[in-house]
Amino acid sequence: MIATEVPEVNYTEYSNRQLVAIPLAVLVLALAIIGGWYLVTGAPANLGLEFTGGVELRIADDGDDVEQQIETAFDRQPDSVRSIPADDVYVVTFRAADEDPEGLANDLSAQADEAGLSTNAIDQVSPSFASDTARTAIFGVALAFLGMSVLVFALFRTFVPSIAVVASAFSDLVVPVAVMNLLGIQMTLGTIAALLMIIGYSVDSDILLNNSVLRRTGEFYESVHRAMRTGVTMTLTSMAAMIVMAIVASLFGVDLLRNIGIILSVGLCADLMNTYLLNVSLLRWYKFEGVKR
Amino acid sequence: MLEPVKNNWRILLLVVVVIGATVALFAPQFGPQTAPGENASEAQQGVTNLQYGLDLAGGTRVRAPLLGYTATEVDFDGDQPDDVARAVADELDGVSARDVGAVAEENAVEVTDASVSESEFRAAMDASGYAYEDVRSGVTQETRDVAQSIITGKINEAGLSGGSVQQVQSLTGEYFILVEVPGEDRSDVIELLEERGTVQIDIAYPTENGTAIQEEVLIQDHFEDIGTAAQSDQGTGAYVPVTVRNTAPEGEQSPAHGFQQAVADRGFAEAYSSNQDRCDYGENPDDVSKPCLLLTVDGEVVNSFGMDSDLAQSMASGSWATDGGFRLTTSEFSQAQTISINLRAGALPAELDISGQGTSRSISATQGENYKNYSLVTGLLAVFAVAGMVFLRYREPAVALPMIVTALAEVYALLGIAALLSYPLELAVIAGFIAVVGTGVDDLVIIADEVMSEGEVNSRKVFNSRFRRAFWVIGAAAATTIIAMSPLMVLSLGDLSGFAIFTILGVLIGVLITRPAYGDILRRLLTIR
Repeated sequence: MIATEVPEVNYTEYSNRQLVAIPLAVLVLALAIIGGWYLVTGAPANLGLEFTGGVELRIADDGDDVEQQIETAFDRQPDSVRSIPADDVYVVTFRAADEDPEGLANDLSAQADEAGLSTNAIDQVSPSFASDTARTAIFGVALAFLGMSVLVFALFRTFVPSIAVVASAFSDLVVPVAVMNLLGIQMTLGTIAALLMIIGYSVDSDILLNNSVLRRTGEFYESVHRAMRTGVTMTLTSMAAMIVMAIVASLFGVDLLRNIGIILSVGLCADLMNTYLLNVSLLRWYKFEGVKR
Repeated sequence: MLEPVKNNWRILLLVVVVIGATVALFAPQFGPQTAPGENASEAQQGVTNLQYGLDLAGGTRVRAPLLGYTATEVDFDGDQPDDVARAVADELDGVSARDVGAVAEENAVEVTDASVSESEFRAAMDASGYAYEDVRSGVTQETRDVAQSIITGKINEAGLSGGSVQQVQSLTGEYFILVEVPGEDRSDVIELLEERGTVQIDIAYPTENGTAIQEEVLIQDHFEDIGTAAQSDQGTGAYVPVTVRNTAPEGEQSPAHGFQQAVADRGFAEAYSSNQDRCDYGENPDDVSKPCLLLTVDGEVVNSFGMDSDLAQSMASGSWATDGGFRLTTSEFSQAQTISINLRAGALPAELDISGQGTSRSISATQGENYKNYSLVTGLLAVFAVAGMVFLRYREPAVALPMIVTALAEVYALLGIAALLSYPLELAVIAGFIAVVGTGVDDLVIIADEVMSEGEVNSRKVFNSRFRRAFWVIGAAAATTIIAMSPLMVLSLGDLSGFAIFTILGVLIGVLITRPAYGDILRRLLTIR
């Protein structure tokens, strides 16, 4: 009946060390990228407007060489100009200026009007508010992660399987942030939402696996394969939705949806690796060696 | 008769929820609330009762703090708040008493003049001799409430429907005023917020050719202190106690003396010799018989009144100006409030710092319309992607089709809730819907795989035990999602609370209603054959 079968992996061919090596290497690499980013730029990721402060204008592209006009219209050099053809707009971003935070949005919108550009949307974020947002966001992610960890420990009440879930959820969070840095995606509120969603999504397949191995009868490898068949389908389905969302939303220039899509796609990819390499090997160690001790 | 209902109650519950959502979405009774002067069909956006937020309908959102400093836990020492405020104001150079407020209920003293620094305010508090615990930035609760009601009033007066004003607190404890006005662009909203109504007092007096007006006998700058609106002790009506300034630069007449002079010149003392004498401006504005004081707001006369004979006498004798106090009376309390507000420096009790620490977002109506269409297309394509994956995996319409229908029913129920709560849809909420489809289908996959594992399902008992096993995982997964999302619901992170609220609601609907129903559907399809 099942037509597209999830391939079975023969775990017996690999030792725990071999299985753990790949996810750990990826995690270390990701942490190194984030750490390096912090050393070089002073922030763990490319912070977007919401976390740095500044002004973003969406300017309608009415066909007459708007890009050229944008170059000359403003007193300040824009930090970035992005074109979104599907929506016929240019997104122009100005970082907050230390020397003149006052009235920046007013000035810029007046300058755009003077140059005959029509502004579709203006976002203004003050630097002090932005740093406050950044703190709140970090606090929120930390709180969510902590809450999830406590819940997982309460559900399984054994150390190794619980820590396996928490560890792979941690890696699921860190890897997308590193990939974001490499792809040049900025950290925005949308990406924070996506990171929190990863906590929710990624734990699903881990719980499924742990449940199958610990709470169900049957041989270890059989349990793993059963959980894997379901879990991989789940993750791939979610990934399909997120990839489509990322592609469509970036064509249309709906940044929030695009960012959520990209982060979740990467996070779910990382989750596949972490669940079926890291988590499985920790469980196997626990089942065959840990319990006996 | 009852047996089929009992056996299929989960499916029936889902049907009820879907019908309920349909009612909430389309029945006119659940339509959006109308703004003053707007009818129901104007308030409705599109064919459904759904409300669209800023992102999808266009509009402006401004979030900014009120500027000022507040001394907390002040020991008033039994003094009246007004005296405390005056004592502190006296210690601050060039700050008038109306920029310092003392609130007895909060044990707080605040300064709302933006030019006063924190250290200057601390020094003034120390010099005034009142003990206090600490000085924080921001203003008192009372002032925030006044500012909120003023802004709400302004938005309503301007006839802007769907506008909202809220106070929000950041993680660091700072308060912000959050203003949202749909359909207006940034400059209009900021103009509205910064605009200040002009209040002045004119004198109408009788001449041979009818009423003549002496304008601007008193203007905003002339007031030393402006009290808050109060209900009048006798009869109806309300008043605002005010004090006219009796100081002036060298060689100039003080406003109090100027006002006293004008009143004396127009013969108020003679006209109001007894308490029976009334101003008749209200009846015949073009031909008054006695001089009247006219209270005008933005050039419009809102009230006219005569003068108490004692007050008129004291002005005629020239003794009033030293004290300079009198009451501006109005017939309605709300009018007194507006006057009190407009007389204060700027329309707001403290400056709203939009350009400095403020945050604003403005989206044009066309951009909003685009976002609405794009997010619809994005959402639909995401659902198709999910459907494609599910078909690819199971190749069995009996399993896959109900899966997709159930997942869509979940989103439909969520839309119904949004319409019921009049919760404005934002891009973030749409992202929440897509997330719900994702988690929803995940859980349905768990149910389907669990139920169909280990051979054929041939009895109800087998089905039920497998279904319960699947439900443990689903419940655990739902709990983690809810825990992970709940911080977002309460932290002030802009739109993201909407995202979190709808993801959590979706998970709850899923676990409690749609996923059990899917189980029942699957059972019927798999066991009866």
